Amino acid sequence: MMAQVAITLNVNGRNQTTLAEPREILADVLRDRLGLTGTHLGCEHGVCGACTVLLDGEMVRSCLLFAVQAQGAEITTIEGLEENGELHPMQKAFSEYHGLQCGFCTPGMILAGIDLLKRNPDPTAQEVRDDMGGNICRCTGYQKIVESVLGAASEMNEVTS
Amino acid sequence: MTTTEWIGARAPRREDPALIRGRGRYVADINLPGTLHMAILRSPMGHASINSIDASEARAMDGVHMVITPDDIPDHVTQFPVIWRLPGQKDSGTPALAEGKVRYVGEPVAAVVAESRYVAEDALDAIDVDYEPLDAVTDAEAALEEGAPVINEDWGDNVAIHHVFAGYNALGVCGYEPEVFDDAEVTVRGRLTIGRHSGIPLETRGIVADWDEVHGRLTVHSESQVASLFRTELAASLGLPETAVRVLTPNMGGGFGNKWDRYPEDLLVSIASMELGRPVKWIADRREGLMSTVHGRAQIQDWEMALQSDGTILGLRGKVVNDLGAHLHSVGIGPAWVTGAAAPNQYKITNYYCDVFAAATNKTPSSTFRGFGGPEGIFGSERMMDKAAKQLGMDPAEIRRKNMIQPDEFPWFNAAGAVYDSGNFPACLEKALEAADYDGVRAEQAELREQGIYRGIGISSYIHVSGFGPSPILGYLSYYTGGYEGSTVKVDPNGKATVYTGMIPMGQGTETTLAQVAAHHLGIDMADVRVVWGDTDQTPYTGFGSAGSRSNVAAVAVIRAIEEIKAKAIRIGAGMLEADAEDLEYADGMVSVKGAEEMRSVSLAQVAQQAYWAHALPEGDQPFLEASYVYDPPNFTTASGCHVVVLDVDTNTGKITWQNYVVVDDCGPLINPLLVEGQIHGGIAQALGGALLEEFVYDEEAQLLTTSFMDYLLPSFTDVPDMEIHHVVTPSPHTDGGFKGMGEAGTFPPGAAVANAVTDALSHLGVEADELPITPSRLWNLIQEATG
Repeated sequence: MMAQVAITLNVNGRNQTTLAEPREILADVLRDRLGLTGTHLGCEHGVCGACTVLLDGEMVRSCLLFAVQAQGAEITTIEGLEENGELHPMQKAFSEYHGLQCGFCTPGMILAGIDLLKRNPDPTAQEVRDDMGGNICRCTGYQKIVESVLGAASEMNEVTS
Repeated sequence: MTTTEWIGARAPRREDPALIRGRGRYVADINLPGTLHMAILRSPMGHASINSIDASEARAMDGVHMVITPDDIPDHVTQFPVIWRLPGQKDSGTPALAEGKVRYVGEPVAAVVAESRYVAEDALDAIDVDYEPLDAVTDAEAALEEGAPVINEDWGDNVAIHHVFAGYNALGVCGYEPEVFDDAEVTVRGRLTIGRHSGIPLETRGIVADWDEVHGRLTVHSESQVASLFRTELAASLGLPETAVRVLTPNMGGGFGNKWDRYPEDLLVSIASMELGRPVKWIADRREGLMSTVHGRAQIQDWEMALQSDGTILGLRGKVVNDLGAHLHSVGIGPAWVTGAAAPNQYKITNYYCDVFAAATNKTPSSTFRGFGGPEGIFGSERMMDKAAKQLGMDPAEIRRKNMIQPDEFPWFNAAGAVYDSGNFPACLEKALEAADYDGVRAEQAELREQGIYRGIGISSYIHVSGFGPSPILGYLSYYTGGYEGSTVKVDPNGKATVYTGMIPMGQGTETTLAQVAAHHLGIDMADVRVVWGDTDQTPYTGFGSAGSRSNVAAVAVIRAIEEIKAKAIRIGAGMLEADAEDLEYADGMVSVKGAEEMRSVSLAQVAQQAYWAHALPEGDQPFLEASYVYDPPNFTTASGCHVVVLDVDTNTGKITWQNYVVVDDCGPLINPLLVEGQIHGGIAQALGGALLEEFVYDEEAQLLTTSFMDYLLPSFTDVPDMEIHHVVTPSPHTDGGFKGMGEAGTFPPGAAVANAVTDALSHLGVEADELPITPSRLWNLIQEATG
């Protein structure tokens, strides 16, 4: 078995250090070493987007990174979106607009939606479809996810305007 | 909401709060202390004998606890059986490991149990298997020919079944008159193929087995869609009493039928846990998921339709060849049988014949997938309707109108044996045509074509026979389990309710749906109803579980149990109100004196307290306020509807652009319209994958070429249109509430609707879109052939 190394990550605002083999992917370390099982693995080859997390604010696929590559980085997972007990508007919108069914793609979808609105706060439905094409859902047929992201956008724009 | 009218409400889902926080609990999230991890060595070949397996090096590796080869499987362990065994069907089951030969790429050959999945996979590389390649069979029609290499030697050939629908319905009328086809004014022929694809839940399969040697109990954390039947079969295959097995099903990341089946890995983790005395976990990676989770749909159909020149159908006959894969899986040839039964569809076809063949091929077994043979039957039916219209020079809408079963003709006994309970097929068609502006699109087609825009409009009507039952009918169909669903409802001493169901939520909102039904019938707040599912130690047995669109059956079990609770509440309330039970009624969570000028009533909570204190129970009543009911439906329910698609075809690239997608769905009264929309959207998207993109491709040596999401293309945001949904509501006459199954219906019509629209768009070229998926390259080739 391979020797383990110490890896320190800032996950959802807290520094955490864990031992892991250098070959362990970030998703496995988040899930199995740090117990953050909200990050899901749907394909492990970077296509489905279920394992999406934010790394230093950028959207990344945690199945395509070794955890050691994230040494010292700030990582936001689905578990880190709630602030002071308040859900992120994107999380609320997914429930309100029935943007999820089985929930397996949902963490990645929510993070991808947040990332989109950061770059384009007021997208059209077509822009949502084009931008989020890297995340796959097998349950919803996407229509209600698009409605969820548009709903979150109008909610967030109302708050900021 | 203060309403107690929960049925019909767009109630928010109670599943959501955990899932949007990443607090769902899927099998992969379960990490029991001391867990070991399993990895599976799979066949790299489509067809080969196994000369030897040398696992000595793997066994000696650090961190490896066990290697399972066929020699390590205890003698008493048996294969998982096929539960649908039609007369004349060959016999096979699902073994834990390949026995002497491999029959498809991905078949389990050996397993390693180690400290971590990483180490287990390292050890797979150290196992040496000596294979001797055999000639492979990849073409289902060639597989049926004499002299084809035989995949299962004990069968003698590759014909898993040849089943004949000879055109007799449940009344013994209809029938098959071959001379009608000889004498008909018009006969129309079509050859159709449907590509091999599947449900592909985003969560792969996985399982954790935990053997407790002290108590002699095996606890299994699984995503089985039918946990009770899984318990029965797992116990039997392992030689354990059924009381020794407990199946827990946590959140499921989609099932789509694929997780209804029993699989080799279920046996392998159990064998390992019992041997090692530690929890053993296996989670499929995507590659092994694509090659080892059941496939579906692959069929070649040849149809012939006889008509009068006015468009009246005189008969339909055909041959369906199902590309079964290497062996019969849990449901045998069930889906192909359903194809034969569904093909008469919404039309008055009384002269019918269909040969159904299931052919063994060196591919992953084909089995349960949302729609279960129905979408294939509808594809055949609706493509043939369009072909007939074209040959007759009729409008596709008109030929459907002319042949549809009318609303006053139910129950309708279809020529393949199915009984349709109710429906309003013409209303669905007209509503869909109107919503899609059918006449308007037709009117502008010619002008658009002048501008180089090739716009097509496609219709597909469908029936979905759902809610399988009653049980004796399933027995008649040689289906080895019952068609009932049971429920226990318990009202606690404070008047709040707990519903126990055998249904397994896969993501479709079962928990919310059943809570709505219970709250509605108890007349209490939905928040005061808890739903317990996913634990065979607590929940009622079911032979079906989450398959065949079952919420309509499970809902009736809840309603009937609540009727018993209400009757008891009235008896107890009579004593409390010093009134005769006959003078009391139950409404809005209260037992009240009927028609009393001054309100005299007691609440459910007050009654419940009395039921538990038991100080003054009516004679013959026991304490508690709870009831169980097992509902065995008297008939199937027939959901139906119509989809109309408008799309443009780019003749230079074969690419399709959506213009409109209209759905009219009749699933009877809706329990939760929000959830119904979600199911329809998802079903359509899944079927559009099979219609346009998804296909498992094998080469001539039966090598699977599509083992990642880069080769096997799932529909994404940009591939699925916006869908406009309308409803026609025709309640089932024989179920409480009139509900019909609806979770699968979205998968039925899209294949034909899209193929009809593409064919219509290219009618000037005479292109017929008869092969699914209609990938851009396949369509481009058809266009090239047509234009020379």
